Amino acid sequence: MEDEFELLRDTVRTFSEKNLDEKKIESEGITENTIQNIASQGFLGARIPSKFGGSELDEKSYNIILQELSKYSPSVAMRIFILNSLYYPLAKNTELESTLSDASSGKLNVTVDFLNNNRIDGEKFNGIVHDILNANSNKIIVFGKNPAVVDGGTIEEKDFMGFRGLKFGDIKVDSDLQYLNTTSTLNDVLENSYNAISSINLGLISGALDKAMEYSTIRKAFDYTLSSYEPVAFNLSKMISQKNILENILNSNIDSFYALNFSMNIIVETTRYALNVHGGYGYFSDFGVEKFYRDAMVMKSIFYGNSELKNLSEHVFGNKIRFI
Amino acid sequence: MFDELNDYRKKIREFALKEFTEDVSKKYDRNEEFPFDIAKKALSLGMIDMENPAKILIAIEEMCRVDAGLGISATLPYFGGEVLLLFGNDGQKKILNDVYQGKVMLGLGITEPSGGSDVAGLKTFAKKSGNKYILNGSKMFISNGAIADYLVVLARTSEEEKRHQGLSTFLVNTKLKGFKATKLENKLGVRATNTAEIEFNDVELSEGDLIGEEGKGFYYIMTFFNISRIYVAGQALGISEGAFDKIKSYVKTMNLADEQTMFDVADVSTRIEAAKQLTYNAASYLFKYDPKPELTSMAKAYSGETAVYSSEKAMEITGKSPDESIQRIFRNAKIMEIWEGTSEVEKLVISKQILKGD
Repeated sequence: MEDEFELLRDTVRTFSEKNLDEKKIESEGITENTIQNIASQGFLGARIPSKFGGSELDEKSYNIILQELSKYSPSVAMRIFILNSLYYPLAKNTELESTLSDASSGKLNVTVDFLNNNRIDGEKFNGIVHDILNANSNKIIVFGKNPAVVDGGTIEEKDFMGFRGLKFGDIKVDSDLQYLNTTSTLNDVLENSYNAISSINLGLISGALDKAMEYSTIRKAFDYTLSSYEPVAFNLSKMISQKNILENILNSNIDSFYALNFSMNIIVETTRYALNVHGGYGYFSDFGVEKFYRDAMVMKSIFYGNSELKNLSEHVFGNKIRFI
Repeated sequence: MFDELNDYRKKIREFALKEFTEDVSKKYDRNEEFPFDIAKKALSLGMIDMENPAKILIAIEEMCRVDAGLGISATLPYFGGEVLLLFGNDGQKKILNDVYQGKVMLGLGITEPSGGSDVAGLKTFAKKSGNKYILNGSKMFISNGAIADYLVVLARTSEEEKRHQGLSTFLVNTKLKGFKATKLENKLGVRATNTAEIEFNDVELSEGDLIGEEGKGFYYIMTFFNISRIYVAGQALGISEGAFDKIKSYVKTMNLADEQTMFDVADVSTRIEAAKQLTYNAASYLFKYDPKPELTSMAKAYSGETAVYSSEKAMEITGKSPDESIQRIFRNAKIMEIWEGTSEVEKLVISKQILKGD
């Protein structure tokens, strides 16, 4: 069984090395060709049932896909995450199930207002839906009293420092609201995604540390490689240990709350230090390391706020946490 | 020293708020374009006042508080000028008048592709040939590199002495034959600033282009770092304050009152206050011609770390309501721990100075 997972990991890695150039993806977006490639590999609809054209993979395989893809292209991993971890759980057993086949094959782009900066109710919506990642979607799940779906519209793009391969912005929408017959809320869906979020975090951490390890063994200062010096060697060793612990947490059956907490506690520090090791070169996109720091900060900002800390604390103490 | 300049500080802040609007900041950041007009206007405020260098520090801090990309660009035309002022000959010093008026731009070329922290290990060579020097080599990450009229360049003039003793500084006219600057693009932040890679291919320099004495370049540049690091601390302090302005505005607008946020507000403001005291203290020694390298390095390292800390906290607190200006602060902050001496280099300076004293 473990061999199967390792085989999958190798497959995703080989695919990523060959097909995913994040620098190009960040400047040009994810091309249709790339979408078709990840769909044909079965990565795009990884968790979606086969009757809807998905790969129906187990959670561990899905997490491996996210981990490996986000080492190379965090944007591609995020697109897969939005479909499988956010859109699919809200769409399943609802009228939106009919969209899953096209979404799994890449013919249809879908997203969810997971930043939750809009409150949309009524029969019809004619206005602006703010702050949507993967904004060039055909279907957008939005939230008011209940989850509903609207058709995509005209995008007013905004600068967003994370996951630049995906469009981000406000969308001018003129669409009927189709309410989803689901009891799931955005919070439920996010809580069930903690391992997937932590897997993307692990990919970002691994990608950044791989770059730093490689650079530190090549780059010389004061006649020796950077890795020969205590500050670099100590810090990178500590961070590699943390990365390995996170891998083990995700491979074990430890509660997903703890995986999220641990990954969020190390993600910004490790990606920042990986950039640091590169000195001035790290500040330029050519070296492919600064993107991990940007994406890491976005992951922490979006998925690890006060509500997640409250969830964790209530999980630990079993009672409501309040403030004075 | 700083309290007396409150009216001046107010004038600079008003200028920055008026000129560095969100649209303008966004434009120069997106296009990675140097704001020549803004830099000229900023100089007209009289911020380069060598009789009172505290004014430069205040200008840097207040401008970076509003936008670091524009603030640094506007205060950088003078970059390297202190080397001329302290060690240059009369002819070289004359250039400074044109710099003060925004007619001439300077830059400083120290870092090389093979290394930044190991200054004494640089390879660019100025070979003496009769009454000339022939300059060959390359420099990396040079601020103003592709737009400067003159660069203050550190080059090796002797292989025979100890590494740091064989270095000299030159004033290099960038229009000379053999000088080539290539603008570097796609920086994480401070994108309005101009950064370039420089190549010198048999650039002919006259003896008059030598700054000070041959073989003293390393000491001149270390002296310069004692000054420039204070200004970088000022940049970092400004970025931190800018991040904190955003945090306060968001917390008040959203009526946030949870302890997690309150503690973050307290932590960020405490660190900024500590960074400010450290920076002003180090600056007050420097501006009285009594620099304390350990204090300067403490100010630079701590303010740099505070800028990164404050910008990350601003992102965390406001993260679910993405704001481009806060993201820009985050992207700008990281360079504060890298340029003009990484935090690691600063920490080595601090510990060596402190241990030497006992």
